[in-house]
Amino acid sequence: MKIFTILKNKKITRITILIFWLAIWEIASLLIGREVYLPSPLNTIKAFLSLSITSKFWLSIALTFIRVVTGFVISCILGIILGIICGLNRFLYELLNPLVIAIKSTPVMSIIIIALIWFQSGRVPIFVCFLMCFPIIWTNAVEGIRQVSKELLQMAKVYRVNRSLIIRRIYIPSIGPYLIAGITTALGLGWKVTVAAEVLSNPKFSIGGNLYGAKVYLESAELFAWTSVVIILSFAFEYLFKYIIARIEKY
Amino acid sequence: MAIEIKNLYKSYGRLVICQDFNIILEENKITGILGPSGCGKTTLLNIIAGLEEYQRGTIKGLGGKTFSYIFQEDRLLPWSTVKENIRFVLDSIYDDQKAEKIANQYIDMVGLKEYAHYYPKQLSGGMKQRVAIARAFAYPADILLMDEPFKGLDLELKTGLIQSFLKLWKQDKRTVIFVTHDMDEALSFAHYIYILEGKPLRIKEKIRNMRGVVSDRF
Repeated sequence: MKIFTILKNKKITRITILIFWLAIWEIASLLIGREVYLPSPLNTIKAFLSLSITSKFWLSIALTFIRVVTGFVISCILGIILGIICGLNRFLYELLNPLVIAIKSTPVMSIIIIALIWFQSGRVPIFVCFLMCFPIIWTNAVEGIRQVSKELLQMAKVYRVNRSLIIRRIYIPSIGPYLIAGITTALGLGWKVTVAAEVLSNPKFSIGGNLYGAKVYLESAELFAWTSVVIILSFAFEYLFKYIIARIEKY
Repeated sequence: MAIEIKNLYKSYGRLVICQDFNIILEENKITGILGPSGCGKTTLLNIIAGLEEYQRGTIKGLGGKTFSYIFQEDRLLPWSTVKENIRFVLDSIYDDQKAEKIANQYIDMVGLKEYAHYYPKQLSGGMKQRVAIARAFAYPADILLMDEPFKGLDLELKTGLIQSFLKLWKQDKRTVIFVTHDMDEALSFAHYIYILEGKPLRIKEKIRNMRGVVSDRF
């Protein structure tokens, strides 16, 4: 019964769970006893704080942020436009689908390495982010278009509603939930692949470059600190997105 | 010019809906179509509206005609309010001001003035049906098709709507074709009544309605 009372208060539960896992981490690092293998949470926070007073830290975050957003926005725009077109036209869908499947099945590392040959280091992460997010958004847009109610389309046809109005008032509201789901998934993935691409392409200021640097110098606490930066940013992004959607849906 | 359907053949695969079917639907008159469910009445309306193909036969009298259609289901946009739903069919043909005026007028007619800004999910089944009716009446079609338009409405409301419908019809005598299960309903406002049976679809009886509201008033 006690557990149920605790679960009632969501915030307290969350904090308790967070403390529980931090404690596990602390105990594990004490048991291992080697900072290089597993730094303690306290040392990670220390590393984080000492990083946060450097301008390099903020510049790296800002530039990675820009890369994620750029890659993500491009994949959203292209994914939505092409997804809608392919959802409406069977032939174009069949034409594009093999390419999307191929991209989906290609290991991220292959894409990163290929991109390294094609682009300069700062652009590689953007391209990789775009290429990994695009199939998700495209697939969701196609699916959304296909789920549009045939009954409503018939109704619009009988009343000779013009095409732009049909798109704005039937198609777009119908695919909304599908796009939201696609965008949420793509956002989380976008951060991970962008940072992964940065590790290999090593642009001057980047989270990935710093991760790589920390690894080279066996600065495990710093490595963990940078990793938590990615996690926090990814979380914050998703949270912000969901918040915006909730606000839009209110209207 | 009346709508004249000749030698119509329609099938879904092996299922023959109608074969050598002939019917004449008078222009500027109200025609009621009665028949058991599943006899192909809805398919007939869909063919007239151009929503379904047919394999053989000719249909005269539909060239350049526009349609309003009250479907069996309300077919409202779930993310749009009552007024937006009606404006949806008006915005392609009228400017903003006129569309707004017409939408208000017909929302008023079906007694939903207070609900103009409600979403379909906030309305009862009967209210949604009334929105669909308002939408059909508001659209300036040559031919009005109705598939059990007053289904699920209580008697008082139904009588009221039929009254306003007849008033509207008197001002602007459009061709009306409606499907129903209810003989009394058909007798209360149709000029001609076809009793159909099926499948395949055929005419069992054609009645020229000499009593009721229609003959008394017009």
